[in-house]
Amino acid sequence: MQSGQDYRIEADVAIIGGGTAGVNSAMAAAELGLKVLVVEKANINRSGAIAGGIDHFHAFLESGEDWDTREAWLKYVGGLAKGAVNLKVHEAVCCEEMKAAIERVEQIGIPLRDAGTGKFYRTQALGMPGPYAINFNGKMLKPKMAEEVRRRGCRVLDRVQVTNLFLHEGEMAGFTGYDIRSGDFYQIRAKAVIISTGNTNRMYRSQTGNPFNLWYCPACTGDLHRQAFDADVELANMEYTRMTIVPKGFSAPGFNAFFGMGSRLINSLGENFMQNVHPMGDRAPRNYMVWGALQELKEGRGPIYMDCSHLKEKEREHLFTTLGYDKDTLPDFFIKKGYNLEGTMIEMTVSEPMQARPSEQCGSGIKIDERCASNIPGLFAAGDSSDQMGCLHMGVAGGYAAGKNAAEYARLAKQLRPLDDKKIKAEKYRIFKPLEKKSGMSYWEFEDIVRNITTDHFGPVKTENSLKAALQKLGGLDAAREDLKADNLHELMRVHEAMNIQQVAKITATAARARKETRFPPYHYRADFTETDDENFCGLIVVNKGAGGEIQTRFEPLSYDI
Amino acid sequence: MPPVIDHEKCNACGICDEHCPLDVLYLEDDVLDVRYPYECWHCGACRQDCPTGAVTIEFPPMMLSV
Repeated sequence: MQSGQDYRIEADVAIIGGGTAGVNSAMAAAELGLKVLVVEKANINRSGAIAGGIDHFHAFLESGEDWDTREAWLKYVGGLAKGAVNLKVHEAVCCEEMKAAIERVEQIGIPLRDAGTGKFYRTQALGMPGPYAINFNGKMLKPKMAEEVRRRGCRVLDRVQVTNLFLHEGEMAGFTGYDIRSGDFYQIRAKAVIISTGNTNRMYRSQTGNPFNLWYCPACTGDLHRQAFDADVELANMEYTRMTIVPKGFSAPGFNAFFGMGSRLINSLGENFMQNVHPMGDRAPRNYMVWGALQELKEGRGPIYMDCSHLKEKEREHLFTTLGYDKDTLPDFFIKKGYNLEGTMIEMTVSEPMQARPSEQCGSGIKIDERCASNIPGLFAAGDSSDQMGCLHMGVAGGYAAGKNAAEYARLAKQLRPLDDKKIKAEKYRIFKPLEKKSGMSYWEFEDIVRNITTDHFGPVKTENSLKAALQKLGGLDAAREDLKADNLHELMRVHEAMNIQQVAKITATAARARKETRFPPYHYRADFTETDDENFCGLIVVNKGAGGEIQTRFEPLSYDI
Repeated sequence: MPPVIDHEKCNACGICDEHCPLDVLYLEDDVLDVRYPYECWHCGACRQDCPTGAVTIEFPPMMLSV
């Protein structure tokens, strides 16, 4: 198998990752009249976390209710994500953009309002003080946004996996990638680059053992977290191990719909155990729901069930419809399992862990400021791959903010920065090398080893010794990277993903080691430091690459006096 | 295994191949091949976007029986 043609492309703003945040960034930069390029590993019509659909959009709407104001929202966000959310950044990338984000979704042809009543259908869960979650049919949201990106004249490179970022004199110069079907090699230069590639999945063992049966998109494998780290970009909130409650057998979303509609979790004794875990019961923040469910399962009171039997018929109908908006195939799964609308108990479990944000209102990844800028001039981040954004509402709102800020930067930049030919040549060799190998280790085996280490040592409970052991084992795998083989371009993509997952696992373990407290249990639960320590740890563990390539951390405090 | 293609109904337009976020589906010589069924995310993009209704989703026993 040979590589294909070589291409060089130049743009004002290049966006890596065409999920929700990336396409909204593209819309913003194109609106300001710049030459925009979107590079996506799959196809922007159906890529990222909402590829197949989505059913909720979190927002404050200034309806006149006291919980529905910007101030009340900020109070909720600060309380929910204390120690992880930077409220100044949140105001700039979320609050400022919220109204326009809702209008944009509706303008491109996805109604957020109920067609019958003309009103928003709003529900309350996840620790919210009021019903912030707008329920809607977002099955066509991703293709509609993709259509808008193309309509605005952006160039789109689908099926190109980006492999490394390149700086020139400490500033963003460009990146490389290859087409996963043709093997064509790309070197891309841009005045500004936005990273919007989601979180890291396939990093821990899943409930059924298949690493693609996941809550979040299994194509998001921390590719750009790893590349950003290697390009001296700072990351933050990387220590968190996110999980949720999913149907047994199928790691599908639906949490917001179930609990928003008033469903309850019960254990095998018929007890509504969340009442004993959190004052908000089944409407508690997600991490406490997972925490409660984990205790029940660990202490032998499983299976746990989603009890919808007390809901009115109309509410149940709405629930099952909206579950299908969030995960197209979930209603089929329920039918196959023999569940029906009449209130059958649905068996649930705790999902696989993942590298992602510890709450709905912050992120985990590239550390950004109020302008969505990283510490590297010319490099911006948005959506789940940034340390301050997550969820649909911030992908749409914050993605657009990143696009505007990157466009502003690109406008002022005089010229494109050069790429070093020698480095590009070496990168091309590195990319395609696994195809030359006749024998060696498969990506599958390599990834399984990573998953076993992460799950056994910090999936999710952590101690100093478990993290030390994990880091030693993950480091021991470095030698095996040279042995990875790919029989075709599809496998080549998976080989690079597997190596990225391994490196992100190391970053996560290192950051978790530095946070000697417990926060958002069980997303960061240290069995050796079981209390939350606001005096010493209310803030970000910031990760970057040391002079010798080692992973180093520092602490940056956050304050919540709003 | 998911997804299952009805080759009678499939018009070989290739939309499902283009849209699949996990690179599971390959249209080659006008025949749709579910090449990496184990890597399916069950997002349903192929079924939603199929213009002829040729796609059904089947869940493996690993998901249904546990």
